[in-house]
Amino acid sequence: MNGNLICAIQGPVMMLTLGILLAADQMGTYLSFGRTWPILLIVFGLFKLAQRAGATHAAQNAGMK
Amino acid sequence: MRRSSVVAPLLLIGIGGLFLAHNMYPDLPLLDYLARYWPFLIILWGGLRLIEVLIWAATDKPLPARGTGGGEWVLVVLLVVFGGSLHAVRGYNGGWWPHNVTIGGLDMFGDSYDYPITAEKQASKNPHVVIESFRGNAKITGADTDTVKVSGHRTIRSLDQSGANAANGQAEFELAGDANEVIVRNNSDHLSNGSVRITAEMEIIVPRNATIEAHGRFGDFDISDINGEVQVISDNAGVRLQNLGGDARIDLKKSDIIRASGVKGIVDLKGHGHDIDLQNIGGAVTIAGAYDGVIAFHNLAKALRFNGERTDLNIEKVPGQIRMTLGDFTGTNLVGPIHISGRSRDVTVTEFTNELDISVDRGDINLRPGGVPLSKIDAQTRTGEVTLSLPPSARFALTATTSRGDVTNDFGSPIKTQNDGRGSEMLGTTGAGSPPVDLHTDHGNVTVRRASADDKTVVSATSSDNDAPREIKTLKPLKSTAPIKKTDQ
Repeated sequence: MNGNLICAIQGPVMMLTLGILLAADQMGTYLSFGRTWPILLIVFGLFKLAQRAGATHAAQNAGMK
Repeated sequence: MRRSSVVAPLLLIGIGGLFLAHNMYPDLPLLDYLARYWPFLIILWGGLRLIEVLIWAATDKPLPARGTGGGEWVLVVLLVVFGGSLHAVRGYNGGWWPHNVTIGGLDMFGDSYDYPITAEKQASKNPHVVIESFRGNAKITGADTDTVKVSGHRTIRSLDQSGANAANGQAEFELAGDANEVIVRNNSDHLSNGSVRITAEMEIIVPRNATIEAHGRFGDFDISDINGEVQVISDNAGVRLQNLGGDARIDLKKSDIIRASGVKGIVDLKGHGHDIDLQNIGGAVTIAGAYDGVIAFHNLAKALRFNGERTDLNIEKVPGQIRMTLGDFTGTNLVGPIHISGRSRDVTVTEFTNELDISVDRGDINLRPGGVPLSKIDAQTRTGEVTLSLPPSARFALTATTSRGDVTNDFGSPIKTQNDGRGSEMLGTTGAGSPPVDLHTDHGNVTVRRASADDKTVVSATSSDNDAPREIKTLKPLKSTAPIKKTDQ
């Protein structure tokens, strides 16, 4: 997985997640956005982790050269 | 060079298409759709963007540093604010999601438990029967009896049997009141436990001369053979009325179909819904609200007043029939005075008598009076063709004008045509005292011709089977004496 790709899909995936949460919110009270919003933070955090891992990996590669 | 995305142009095309559809069919409840489905726009947008980035990656094309730009996020925020407020304004509460499905809750983990309902109460010859608000279906039938008898079953959805039993005890079914006022009560509001839900299937037999007042939250009413007044008030219902001796008043926030046949009194409908089918109505018919399906009338003995969101209709009598959809109006054998006004509609009226007055913003008008003598006719459209077929012996004082288009005289003498630049006009009179016939279109052609015997088959208002209103769901056969049993999901 390269870091560029992770950066590039971050926006679309965040948007997709937001849309799904809002749609779930309209389905009923059980999955209201008030309850589910932390999922956005989690997804965002996962991306940051993945980017960090990608960056370290790239740095290591660069160091070996 | 930065690659530009195809998603934004696609969304533009989509939004353009929506507005175009709105302009072509102004009756299309576009705002309703937006209020319901706007989160899917964001899902679609994100999904398309993701697919696009993945395709770029797979084909080794240079990737953008960020998949979604700042401008796009601003648009998303605007969409959320707009959609959210629209949703709130329209008052939807999960309307598009099937009513009995909630993710995770009862319907995923719970089971259904059935309990029989049997109750009977002595009543006078003409009691007032009140059905208190409940979920489920009711079939109410009048009979030569002096009791009110309820049979059927209630289904309790609960996580376990003991919860269902407790709920059934707590919200006990009862037949309350006295001989003059009988109350059918499901007591669902007595439930303290929010994780159970009661629906009832009731078959209610009442004295023929009873008056009915039925309240419901979700479910169908099937009412027949009652001589007293019938009133139905529900949040969401299909209603079928048959063979009623009195008035019928129906007030529904939402309905899939309202069907009435053989009502001697007035019929008064209010609310939002889909299809309406009324036939053989003895009293006046008044309809106020928004209905986006097929609306059909057949044999109305008294006046019809239809007050829709964008269409007004006043007709003195409908011995024949009328069929209306979002885009058209077809009526045959109508007695005037007739008044039709609407935004976007093709109007065809044949075999009408007395005065006629039509005005539409957009749509063709096609008229053929039933015979002579003619009465006053006034037909106006902003964009559309106007065609009038007159009996050869008709007497009239015609003024037909178009601001941009042609006039065609297929009637012959005494009508004369005149062209001046873009517009044209037709004038002709059969002498003093002839009834005025005024036709006008801003954009379009005007044609006046002689009606011939063949016309009857050309324009008839019979609806084909394909687009006739849907049959109301029939109530399931009731299991009146079933023992308490558990049914799997």
